[in-house]
Amino acid sequence: MQLDPVTIQILWNRLITIVDEAATGLMRTAYTPSVKEYHDFCCALFDADARMLSHSTVTTAGFLGIVPEVLRNFIAKYPPETLRPGDAIITNDPWIASGHLIDISIAAPIFHRGRIVGYTLCIVHHLDMGGRMSTLESKDMYEEGLKIPILKLFDEGRLNETVFDFMRANIRVPDKVLGDVRAQLVANNVCARGLKGLLEEYRLDGLEALGAEVIDRTESSLRRKIAALPDGSYRNVAVLPKVPGCDDEVVVKIDVTVAGDGITVDYSGSSGEVGAAINCSYNMTRSYTAYPVKLALDPHVPNNEGGLRPIEVIAPEGTIVNSRPPAATWGRTMISHLFPEIVFATMEAVMPESILASNGGCPANEVYLHGRHADGRSFLAIAQHSGGFGASARHDGYACLCFPNNTRNIPVEVTENEARMYYVRKELRTDSGGPGRNRGGLGQEIEFAILDGGNERARDVESSVRLSGRTEVGPFPVFGRLGGRNGRGSGLWHNGGAVDHGVYRRLAPGDRVRFVLSGGGGFGDPLEREPERVLADVEQGYVSVESAGKDYGVVIDGAAMTVDAEATRRLRARARRPE
Amino acid sequence: MTNSYRLGIDIGGTFSDFALVNDADGAIRVEKVLTSAHAPEESVMRGIGDLSGAIPDLLSRTSEVIHATTLVTNTILERKGAKTGLLTTGGFRDILELAREVRYDIYDMFIRLPEPLVPRRLRLGVPERVLADGAVLLPLDEAAVRQAAAVFRDEGVGAVAVSFLHSYRNSVHERRAAEILREELPAVTVSLSHEVHPEPKEYERTSTTVLDAYVKGVAEGYLERLAEGLAGRGYRERLFVMLSNGGTATVETAKRVPVQIVESGPAAGVEAAAYFGRLAGIDSLLSFDMGGTTAKLCIIENGRAARTRSYEVDRRHRFKSGSGLPAAVPVYDLLEIGAGGGSIARVDDLDLIRVGPESAGSAPGPACYGLGGAAPTVTDADLMLGYLNPDYFLGGRMALDRAAAERAVGKHLAGVTGLTTLEAAAGVHEIVNENMAAAARIYVAEKGKAPPELSMVAFGGAGPVHAAGLARKLGCPRLVVPPHSGVMSSLGLLAAPVAFERSRAVRQILKAVDLAAVEAAFRALEAEAGDLMPDGAAPIVRRSVDLRYSGQDYPLEIEVPGPCDTSSTKADWEARFEALYRSHYGKVDDDNPVELASIRVHVSQPPPALELARPPAKADAPPKAWRDIHVPAGAGMERAPVYERAALRIGQEIAGPAVIEEPESTTVIGPGDRLRVDPLGCLAVDLVIRRPAASGDDADETPHPAAFGRR
Repeated sequence: MQLDPVTIQILWNRLITIVDEAATGLMRTAYTPSVKEYHDFCCALFDADARMLSHSTVTTAGFLGIVPEVLRNFIAKYPPETLRPGDAIITNDPWIASGHLIDISIAAPIFHRGRIVGYTLCIVHHLDMGGRMSTLESKDMYEEGLKIPILKLFDEGRLNETVFDFMRANIRVPDKVLGDVRAQLVANNVCARGLKGLLEEYRLDGLEALGAEVIDRTESSLRRKIAALPDGSYRNVAVLPKVPGCDDEVVVKIDVTVAGDGITVDYSGSSGEVGAAINCSYNMTRSYTAYPVKLALDPHVPNNEGGLRPIEVIAPEGTIVNSRPPAATWGRTMISHLFPEIVFATMEAVMPESILASNGGCPANEVYLHGRHADGRSFLAIAQHSGGFGASARHDGYACLCFPNNTRNIPVEVTENEARMYYVRKELRTDSGGPGRNRGGLGQEIEFAILDGGNERARDVESSVRLSGRTEVGPFPVFGRLGGRNGRGSGLWHNGGAVDHGVYRRLAPGDRVRFVLSGGGGFGDPLEREPERVLADVEQGYVSVESAGKDYGVVIDGAAMTVDAEATRRLRARARRPE
Repeated sequence: MTNSYRLGIDIGGTFSDFALVNDADGAIRVEKVLTSAHAPEESVMRGIGDLSGAIPDLLSRTSEVIHATTLVTNTILERKGAKTGLLTTGGFRDILELAREVRYDIYDMFIRLPEPLVPRRLRLGVPERVLADGAVLLPLDEAAVRQAAAVFRDEGVGAVAVSFLHSYRNSVHERRAAEILREELPAVTVSLSHEVHPEPKEYERTSTTVLDAYVKGVAEGYLERLAEGLAGRGYRERLFVMLSNGGTATVETAKRVPVQIVESGPAAGVEAAAYFGRLAGIDSLLSFDMGGTTAKLCIIENGRAARTRSYEVDRRHRFKSGSGLPAAVPVYDLLEIGAGGGSIARVDDLDLIRVGPESAGSAPGPACYGLGGAAPTVTDADLMLGYLNPDYFLGGRMALDRAAAERAVGKHLAGVTGLTTLEAAAGVHEIVNENMAAAARIYVAEKGKAPPELSMVAFGGAGPVHAAGLARKLGCPRLVVPPHSGVMSSLGLLAAPVAFERSRAVRQILKAVDLAAVEAAFRALEAEAGDLMPDGAAPIVRRSVDLRYSGQDYPLEIEVPGPCDTSSTKADWEARFEALYRSHYGKVDDDNPVELASIRVHVSQPPPALELARPPAKADAPPKAWRDIHVPAGAGMERAPVYERAALRIGQEIAGPAVIEEPESTTVIGPGDRLRVDPLGCLAVDLVIRRPAASGDDADETPHPAAFGRR
């Protein structure tokens, strides 16, 4: 088999097709909205040397740097010579796999003509893994639920039933979680079939030559883009928002060095592990460090192992960016979701055209609700909502668009069918977008209420609502860039009183929970925004007449919906004058 | 004189096609006129005028007119619909803009999304609330609806969409709001979400309802003028419109929910392919329509195509799902790919050749058109590979410039990659085929089919050129190129039997279902659908059930015999579901209970008989010429015979490699392929394909009865 450029292109596309088919199988056979609607999962295909060749295009960014390592860790425990057709390996170990217990990884060898030609891996963020339910308050891993060490879930087609017995005994909604585990098996089946079909069709014995081409071409493409950047070292220190219930200050130090065709990102000097569920595994840190580099430099090349090679991530062990067992990890996105914007901020002067201002919904919001329906069925619902997208040199930010993770919202009507509650509102928040030459996207305001199930077991609902923790006045607001202003709005209220986010809370029937997700940061000086664009924003209610004057220096007659050009000129001249 | 004619009219963006069949003798007449973009009904009258030249009093002798149009799609794409207002549950007016809050491309920070059709200031919330179980939490604030109507009136809104939460379960507030709006705004059209798309997921339902409101005025006006125009020329019967799923609707139904006809034209193409499949006796086929900018594929089984409700209009990235406006109406589940004759080839950052989705279109067009195009395209590659005849394109009405094609490929592709010009051209042809194959594989797999089970039916200008290569890649063993490919869609309108589908949600565990009630429900649906059928012919009735494991969303549809209230029914349904599930997804042995999601009834007329013109030749036609064509995996160029399609004899056999030319297209077959002209005049080709992966090879999958079950 000669691998000319045409054949490589064809087979490469096919490798991506195969994992996307696997993802479709997963979604079609899943049981929970967290897979069907939310899409927090990945499917990936590896060659016989455990190198990742393709990654499903429906996925979220957190898996980017994790996936290649998960399989290597599996193989270290179960070397290829110990694997048989019909084997499947499982774990949810945060340090071996994807950084918190609630993600289950399942991998399987793919046999063809009697030998292993590759591996398939599917990782899914599940609804529940037992323990304290979805809270930042856990002090260590043991509070966070059931840990499944690396085990053979299937041994030559025979189930290790003990694994399922333990799971069923330890989690809140076993039928749904085990249903989704089954959907992961479907994904692996579909992936294995796809690869075997490809090998058969092209009369290939294995993926070695193709894998080398895919990885090398991806690597050299990114290296060429890095080489075009000026060499140099760029530093940044970020003091992150306090986590409720944890007094430790969290500081992320970053040193980005561009040297030739490689980038080194060094987190040395960052804070140590903390006694709250926000500690990152090294792989998680690597995911969200490599992601902004790919976004900025080489977005159109498919993701595989090669895209990680030019990026070295240094994170000393024992820090919040490279924690050790048994650190608590459930909400590690409270830290890792911030890496892309910290990298962008660090590189602002070098590549202003290739960065975004901060996203108002970052770190990602998550809502958990657990209780019983009137008929005694238990429910566990997860919901997520996004804040405003950061503005860029090119565009205004869109309202409420997910970043840096990429998960869909779960529709209001789906959540209300799952859980005993209803939403009171879910609406854009005027003036929340950070002012700028390009404006940050609007954030949103959400309120929900608990319904009464009408009997003793169906009263209270256990909940947690996690927000970004960022505030306009705190150390880490939703930053604008290059003169753009910060995004606005944040907070969580329980029956009207401001409360901590990310903690366990018992809600009674009639209780109301309200929260605001910030708008995105602006980009460039708001005084340079064209008055007609400010007027258009005022007409739609994205920006108020007051904010148009105060933030943009544009004087608008709100009744006639016209710009007073002369008053605007004077106001802007005054605003530009140094104090 | 009897009403013996039936007329199919397909209005496309450029051409309007007409197919007229005389039911007495099955003879077909076709016509093609340019579409008047500003008033499409005028093109209809022009085309009918042309046809009437040969047949006096044509419309008074016509028993059925079936119409397909791109009007609705174009109204949306060109943003020429009504100024539309949106009325929502208070607190939820931004659902339309919030959408699903997700990026459709995870690596592109600068993606663009379509503008919502209703700007924020025309989205108004009113106090009202229905809960998930249908209970009314908060009554509708009627005064607020009247205030909203006043705002809409002041703004000069021409259409209002009403979308309240959970209206699919209890529509009382939507219906009352509609009454008030009609009182307050008698001239304004109103679309209600529970009528347009009565399903959960508020964004998709709202988007669909807004699209409906947006196009309603335009569609109503057009369809009324068309009906009047036809009546004025003597047509006395009902006017039918083809829905996006190939079903037919009376013009009144189409006017009520016009978003249903958004994919009317492509649906007619599917019907045409289904028709030829039936004639040729093919149970499972893959229709393949490749034109200048896109290729469309669709699986058709036993004359029926798969359908979906996850359709999007106006995608910012035509081929990325999530980048458009959801229109959750039943459409044929077509696969649309950015691959056509005009698709541009280039070398990317990886030093690899990429083809499409950008297209040179007709202006500047492929380099070989000599109209100013400099970029190499698929058509340029096809010309260089000997597949196209530079002197017989469009029957010789347009000369192709081979040297220009070579220059384009040489400069933009060969130089950079180190390939020869011919290798680069072969690469372009191969890659565009693989692009289509890659997308088609996912599509086919999603439908739970294996390509070896499918025969390909190819049409469109570029379809027959690429069909053999694509079919071979996919592993489809047989290819059919029907006659009349230039007017396939209008023929499809006539070939499609008038058909109606009705369904009812059940959502019960199969074991607990009361089969007597299900049988009664089936009969009620059959009666309902049967009432819509034109009088006369005895309808064909089919039943199916949607089954899934309880807790899943996606059901599998299984056709079932009636009546269903027998002792073995449940076991039979369950066994067939489990077998189908396993063939889709492998062995995972789910033991959650099986749920009956819904029941469906499909009622149709018997397929109408059409008589195709038979090739008159009595003896085998010899090749009209020989030329070098590229043979993949062979030694480069090989000498191949070239035939004139019209001269071929029924039953004539041709061994590949060979080229069969006709004015509108060219069929290319490879070494070892065997072509036969079937009794219908179709080119039926048995392809040489590699042995596909053994199906059912799941020895290393993870079986497990009882593995995951409840205890």
